[in-house]
Amino acid sequence: MGSSSKSRYKEKESSSRPKRRHSPTPATEDASREKRHKHRHRHHKDKKRERTRQTVEDEDLVEIISSDESPQETKMESSSQGAGSLSIEETNKLRAKLGMKPLDVGTSEASTSASKNSGKKKDDLGEFYHKPAENWAEKAEREKLRTKLAEHKEKRQLHNRLSKVKTLGDSDSEEDVGNWVDKNRKIEKAKLEAQKRANMLEELDAQFGIGDVIEQDRKEKRSQQYTAKDLKGLRVDHDIDTFAEEKQVILTLKDSGVLDEKDDVLVNVNMIDNEKYKKNIENKKKKILYNAYEDQEYDELGNPKEKSLLSKYDEEIDGAKRDGFQIGVDKFVQQKQKAVVQSVKEKLAKKRLESIADKNLVLASEYYNEEEMAKFNKPKRKTRRIRSKGKLTANDLLPIQKIEQSGSKKNKLELNTNEPDLNIDDVPDIEVLTNFKLEDDKDDMLEKALHKARRIKQRDNVIADILKNEVKEENQDENGDGGNIILNSTAEFCRTLGDIPTYGKAGNRDEDEDLVDFEKEDMNDEKSDDDDCRIIEPSGWNSVDPVHGGVDLTKIVPQEVQILDEEPDVSTGVGAALKLAMSKGYLDKEQNNRPSNSRFAHLQAQHYSIEDKSYGEEGNERAGRGRERYSGPIQDFREKDGFKPNVKLEYIDDDGHILNSKEAFRYLSHKFHGKGPGKNKVEKRIKKGVQEQLMKKMSSTDTPLGTLNMLQAKQKETQSPFVVLSGNKQQQQISKSRR
Amino acid sequence: MIEITCNDRLGKKVRVKCNPEDTVGDLKKLIAAQTGTKWEKIVLKKWYTTFKDHIQLQDYEIHDGMNIELYYQ
Repeated sequence: MGSSSKSRYKEKESSSRPKRRHSPTPATEDASREKRHKHRHRHHKDKKRERTRQTVEDEDLVEIISSDESPQETKMESSSQGAGSLSIEETNKLRAKLGMKPLDVGTSEASTSASKNSGKKKDDLGEFYHKPAENWAEKAEREKLRTKLAEHKEKRQLHNRLSKVKTLGDSDSEEDVGNWVDKNRKIEKAKLEAQKRANMLEELDAQFGIGDVIEQDRKEKRSQQYTAKDLKGLRVDHDIDTFAEEKQVILTLKDSGVLDEKDDVLVNVNMIDNEKYKKNIENKKKKILYNAYEDQEYDELGNPKEKSLLSKYDEEIDGAKRDGFQIGVDKFVQQKQKAVVQSVKEKLAKKRLESIADKNLVLASEYYNEEEMAKFNKPKRKTRRIRSKGKLTANDLLPIQKIEQSGSKKNKLELNTNEPDLNIDDVPDIEVLTNFKLEDDKDDMLEKALHKARRIKQRDNVIADILKNEVKEENQDENGDGGNIILNSTAEFCRTLGDIPTYGKAGNRDEDEDLVDFEKEDMNDEKSDDDDCRIIEPSGWNSVDPVHGGVDLTKIVPQEVQILDEEPDVSTGVGAALKLAMSKGYLDKEQNNRPSNSRFAHLQAQHYSIEDKSYGEEGNERAGRGRERYSGPIQDFREKDGFKPNVKLEYIDDDGHILNSKEAFRYLSHKFHGKGPGKNKVEKRIKKGVQEQLMKKMSSTDTPLGTLNMLQAKQKETQSPFVVLSGNKQQQQISKSRR
Repeated sequence: MIEITCNDRLGKKVRVKCNPEDTVGDLKKLIAAQTGTKWEKIVLKKWYTTFKDHIQLQDYEIHDGMNIELYYQ
């Protein structure tokens, strides 16, 4: 340590001189002021030091070192200052004592100087070396010099080049007049020679006959030339009117597919462009395609256009219609003229001549008059089936009546007896019988129908007449037999089933109802013969045919159900009497002593869970420690589900008395506040208690003095039902005499 | 080498030279040597930051000429 510090010290000694030189204060000023100034200066330099150290290399080294060294110098001097600072040596000694390494003043200085020399600079953390900044002034100088040199070089080169060029004043010795003449002569000679040679060659050709061949070739070529003849029949794709007369138009072959078999078509590019342009303009005009009133459209010539459906798309679909012509064919021109003539004719033909006079104006009416009605197409009448009740008019049935009247009555009786069997039997059994049965049924039904018809005819001739006309036709349509009734087994089955209440009301009635009607009639007949004018009787089907004997309603015995329980007979015993008393509410069942209070279960909250207990507080501070604070059971006790203890709160006094709620509150309140009642109050209470005790001990049969007992004893003694209260003898005697 | 000024505002103001690599404990010892108090009793603070003994000055970014508050415990 010693050696290094010494060397450093020497450095300082040596550097002290330049520092003095550097200090701005003159030597005449007093020392303290100088020191302060230096001190201030030092800070400024410290900041500046790092910035300036590397950048300015031109500055003399001595000055920089001095600026670096100055703080140490000032510190050394300031060791005697009031702030209480040690010099470096002192501190180093102290550090040596404390076992610390010496202050690294010199080494840092050396390192900085070394870095200065090498042109590198460490950054604040000492990690990276910075590239030294370049001197802009120098760079500019260099650049300036370089451009100047280049300029000079250029100048020199130009000078060299120009020095070789002859000026106008300089004499041109090579081009003399003589030379020029010689040149021209030479050229003329060469020309002459060339002509001579050509003549010689021609002569040779003539000798060998080559000239004729060439002549022929030329002729052939001329004949093969493409002329107006060849153009004949070619089609031009433009309207002939578009070609202005006496004007040259260049036509080219139109582009077409290689494989197309069509003839060539000539077009002019410019004209095609014109057409396109026209079309574009047409499109831009945006003609309204929708023709709301279906007006007739006219083309340029004033002819009405033929209408086709969605004519606006014709062009897209079929391609634009183009009118062209063929070169050299007059037909096209003629055709066009013809077409024009034709169109004019058509126009004239289509014109309708309307005279105003012959049309008489008629008021428009909302209704058709009779003629119009006749014209008006009537909608087809729906053939509605008329209820076949009308089927059975007298006229229709008369012929059959004659034939079958005789044997039918017998059959009827038999049929009635048979019918219940039919109802009971299963389906297959019926099928065995069908043929025979149907016959019988037919007879029976016919019989009934005829009967009814006859009656109707007699009573309501008018109705029958009206019905007759309408129904006759219908009958012929529906019943091919013409007047016969067709009966089927299904109808029979349905008939026997009975009247289903909804049957026929929902519109599902059919022909079978007719049969039902007959039945009704039939039954009415049986009940009351004179009352047969009723045709339809709504309640008729409800009455039960005793012979058919459906379900016997009388057999259904209504079960007697008492609303109240049977009243127990009191005369049988005490138990019964108790029961009665219980049922009438005279006695209560002993329920209070039951171990569980399950009868209060209906008062408990239905959806109560244990979590609800902590609801209020958790709502406030759920986010914080609310969770941790409540650590009770989260699940219910399933095993104790049935356990509902009958809790009875009783408060007992110090003396063992049971307190009512008021007293209990007072007692607890005293306990809570630690302050009992006053002396008077306590006495009063005790007195009350004693009296209560006495009241309880008192016999209920006697007065406290035992007067009743004494009275009874006296009565026994005197053997009288009374006692004389006064001590008068006379009165006693009177009482005896009375007895 | 840096120089730090330590001031308890009761009359003691010391300037201490030290290395940036020194720990705060070393600094305290130096201060103790200059002021005459035990170094264990010294607390160095800058605003509300109490400097810990085992940490180097450069890690606390204590530079040359800084003022450090000096307290006693």
